[in-house]
Amino acid sequence: MGIATDHLPGVVEQLPGGSVLVTSFDSVINWARANSLWPLAFGTSCCAIEMLMATGGPRHDLARFGAEVARPSPRQADLLILAGTIVKRMAPRLRLLYEQMAEPRYVIATGACTISGGPFIYNSYSTVRGADEVIPVDVYVPGCPPRPESFFHGLLTLQKLIKTESIRQPGVRHKPVLSELPDGIKVEDIQKEIVALLEGEATVDVNKAAQAKPWPKGT
Amino acid sequence: MLPERLQSICELEDDVTVLEEGVDKPTVVVPCEHVASLMAALKHDASFAFLLLLDHTVTDRVDDGHFELVYQLYSPVHNHHLMVMTTIPRDEPVIQTLSHIWAVAEFQEREIYDMFGVVYRNHPDLRRLFLEDDWVGFPLRKDYEDDFMLERPK
Repeated sequence: MGIATDHLPGVVEQLPGGSVLVTSFDSVINWARANSLWPLAFGTSCCAIEMLMATGGPRHDLARFGAEVARPSPRQADLLILAGTIVKRMAPRLRLLYEQMAEPRYVIATGACTISGGPFIYNSYSTVRGADEVIPVDVYVPGCPPRPESFFHGLLTLQKLIKTESIRQPGVRHKPVLSELPDGIKVEDIQKEIVALLEGEATVDVNKAAQAKPWPKGT
Repeated sequence: MLPERLQSICELEDDVTVLEEGVDKPTVVVPCEHVASLMAALKHDASFAFLLLLDHTVTDRVDDGHFELVYQLYSPVHNHHLMVMTTIPRDEPVIQTLSHIWAVAEFQEREIYDMFGVVYRNHPDLRRLFLEDDWVGFPLRKDYEDDFMLERPK
């Protein structure tokens, strides 16, 4: 046949109506979707300033990941970034914003308040205990507030998650439980190292440590 | 510890007492029935000229059984501050509105009504400000409880 089946690896599937579809379109579409996330910033408290606005600025630079086109309208956005406490009065409005977004749509919840209610979980008459009581959340970024780097890790996790999608099953994603480890390192190695650290001597003898490593001469 | 030009406040109304201890700015305490007339005099008397009501807050003294109402006044003419305090009983929290003296009091009093359930007599539009209109109860009262709240584990 033509270039589409000779050069693109993929499975040719019959569709109703007699046409064919190359499933490696999945990877092309996912690549495009993952690298041009247009965020709608739902910043309601301190996380919005400390994390969201900081990531948009030139020092941390959200544009490196293709997500800098912040949309103030839900109809043009496909990523909803929740940054801040959600209260009962606001929850129906948040739900409305989410439902106005075109599919495929993704949600990142950042910060303790957004994930669980945070410090306002007890004795509060108004705080919603977690954004996932209102809308489905794809990626949680913990912190109070999270560092911009944590947010980027969350964004990259979402990109990985998008790359597991298929146009045959819209909306179905295989959620990664662990980021990919570098070559030659296993989870058991990390666990062993952490156990050794925890079980080792917790306090350091400063004098002993200083004598073991004397000042270099000439200082 | 009233400054000199505020000394004559006590002559404006009966039962005005000056609070001396535990305050960091000139403070007077009045009975709740005299608040409205005292406030009108404080605003319109040229020697005081308290043209601004900066803030109006409430403390719920649940153990003593009363609400403590606090008004923060400021005069841009003379550049002096005054704090006016009064108490009303918790079981009958009614007081005269100040919205005819300072228009901003209308919203401050609506907020207090919303959170504490203090009823302002002659208020033009006493509705809830922040919470939904069908909310039951006044959440900033110390004895407020509802089914949604979680008790902090001891």
